[in-house]
Order: sequence, then structure tokens, then C-alpha cells
Amino acid sequence: MPERQALNSSIRPTRCVKAIAVALICGLALIAGCKTQDDAASAATQMSATAKSLSDYYAALGVILSNTDKIYAINARLYSKPYSDESRKQLKTTQDELARRVQLAADLSTLAGNFAKLTGSEAPADVAASCNKLETEVDGLASRTASTGEQNMIKSALQLLVTAIQERKERDAARAMDSLASGLSNLFDKEAPAWNSVDEVYSGLAANLANSLVDQNAVDNTALLKAALEPFGLTPAPASVEVNAKLAPVAKQQIADRQAALEASYTNATDAMSKSLKEMSERIHLVAEDKPMAFRAPPVTVSTVEQWATQVLSW
Amino acid sequence: MANALDDVKNTFLSLDSQYNMLLAGCKTQEQRDALTAQYSAAQQHYQSALNAVLNDDDAQVAALSTQLKALNTQVVQATSQVGDISKVIDNITAAVSLGAKLITMAAPGPV
Repeated sequence: MPERQALNSSIRPTRCVKAIAVALICGLALIAGCKTQDDAASAATQMSATAKSLSDYYAALGVILSNTDKIYAINARLYSKPYSDESRKQLKTTQDELARRVQLAADLSTLAGNFAKLTGSEAPADVAASCNKLETEVDGLASRTASTGEQNMIKSALQLLVTAIQERKERDAARAMDSLASGLSNLFDKEAPAWNSVDEVYSGLAANLANSLVDQNAVDNTALLKAALEPFGLTPAPASVEVNAKLAPVAKQQIADRQAALEASYTNATDAMSKSLKEMSERIHLVAEDKPMAFRAPPVTVSTVEQWATQVLSW
Repeated sequence: MANALDDVKNTFLSLDSQYNMLLAGCKTQEQRDALTAQYSAAQQHYQSALNAVLNDDDAQVAALSTQLKALNTQVVQATSQVGDISKVIDNITAAVSLGAKLITMAAPGPV
């Protein structure tokens, strides 16, 4: 998957990413100190799975954005639709923002997955070191202006967490951790319209380009005959211009149907991701409140996200 | 709540879907240049809006957004008016210009 590799190669961890990731470990470690080891470990495992889905979700959006860039370039070449340097620069900025989110979620997944190792005897030293690091890193959030309200919520939770850890107030730290998880969930929901538009623009541009190519007889429409021929082990002959033209309306209907299906699939994945994050947040809330965790498996909606992301990442 | 990003996106996608037909309908190089410039601007406005956090709660943005929706309707109908290409380009220019105003009212971008 070259697109994903390219995306990952452009990843540059930010202070925000590090701060949130370290804070999550600190929080979970402290929760473990005031709650059963099983529940804390389970919360970490669930968070790891949910964060991995979030990372894959953002990576899939990166592929969609990369394909949008390619369509802009094709449109410029074939139809003289301008693709200015300014537009390229703006699209690159969006790609960079996505890459940061891929890294953030991947860090959360990896670190939460390693949580069990941090609950050992070395954990207090790790927490102390992390606190010092957090103090200097929390301010890094201020330079980020996307979804300001939600980012401020995350920043406040981080500051509370640092203070609580320094003062050894485990209950306050657990609550801060709870607030942090909620902030991440809210951040995802707040940014969802922007990412929705990325998907809609891609599917819209792709459908427009596909329709133009069908109009120009630049598409082999005999692929539509597969449903009739494949059961008999047959393949269509190269289409004449006449046959291709007769099949054009069917091809255009397929473009419209699949565009709708693509958008529906993305909407389902986004809804599922939002539900997974909310469910994760609610479960951490239970642990933070010293209440038993009813479910120990990752949120079921995670699989819907993974299916969509796997499909897109294979493009 | 007005969704300014959606409005700017719709202007761009409408123009993209009709661009080839409208370009073919242009009678002069000046018209072709105007159409191309508006397409480029609409694309840039969308990409900029995506990188900004638009303040949909602002009343002025909401009012502009309502106007843009009305203009977008005219852009969508542009193909049927292709006989009057000057009017079509005027409508597109108005919609794209309004999109630019929305973006200048946006909150600072994410980077």
C-alpha cells in the first residue's frame, strides 16, 4: 500500500500526540492503582483496539485524499481543469493534519497495548518522568486551532492529570483520564463534517471523471457483461464503438449506484467509529468511578470501521 | 445551523460536474478564461475551507451561507442555461465570490 507508506513516512509526531499518549498511560497506571488490575488491563486492551481502528480510519482517509490529488491531476491533463499550486498546498496541509491523527491514534494503540508492562515496579519512576515531560508538552496543544473547544477540553484534562499525578491524587487523576477520553471522542465528532466532505468530494470528483470518460468512449463497458458471461466461463470480445455506446447508460447507472454505496459505507464507518469512541469513553468512566466494567471485549462497532478501512487501504 | 463548508463544497462539485459542458458552451476566449478562473477559485475555496474551522454559529456567516445556497441552486441549473453562457458565468462568479467571503470569516485553520 504505497499510499499508506507515503502517508506514514510524512508523519511527524507532535507535542500534542506525545502528551496525550503519555497522559493516557499515566492515567491508566493510576487507575490500576485504585481499581482491580483486571479492569485496568481490560480498559487498556479495549483502548488499544479502538485506537488502532481510529488510526486505520484516518489512514484510509489519507488514501482517499491521495486519490483526490490524483484525480485533480488527471482532470488538469485531460480536461484542462486547473489545479493551482495554492490548491496543492492546501491539500498537502490537509494530508499533514491527517498524518498527525494517524500517528496520534497509532501511539495510543501501541502505548495502551503496552500498558501491562508499565504497571510493574518501574511504573512510579515512569510516571514521574512522564509528568515532567507532560508539563512542558501540554502547552503544545495551544498552537493547534482545529476544533478549539474540544482541544481546550483535552488540554484542561491533561493539566489536571499532571497536577493530580504530581500531588499523588489518584482519584483526581482517574477523573482527568476519564475527561481526556471524553475529549478525544468529542474531538472526533467535531471534526467529522470536515472529514465527511473529504469523502464526498472524492466520490463526487471520481464519479464526474468516470462519467466523462464513459461519454468519451474511453471506458470498456463490456465489463458489465461479466454477470452474464462469467458463469459460463466466457469473456466478452473487445467492444465495438456501437456496443460500448449502447452500454453507456448502464455504466453510468453503475457509477451512480456505486457512488451512493461508497458514501453510505463511509457514513456507516464514521458512525461506528464515533460509537466506538463513546463506548470506550463510557467504559473508562466506569473504571474511573471505581465501578465494575460490564464488558471486556472491544466495542463491537470497531469491526465495521476495520472493514471499511481495509477496503479503502487496498485501493 | 448553516454548514458553510458544505456550501463551498457543493459549489465546487456542481461546477466540476458541469465544467466540460460549460467550457464547450463558451463562445469567446474571455468566457473560457473566466470559467477556468472560477473553477480554480472554487477548488481553492473548498480546500481552504477544509483547513479552517468555519464558525457556523456566526449570524453573518449563516446569512451568507443562505445566499450561497440560493446561488448554488442556480449553478446546479447552469447546464440548462448554457445558451446564455454569460449569465451562467455571472452566477458562478457570484457563488464563488460568496464562498470567498465565507472563508475570510472562518476561524483560523488547523495549522
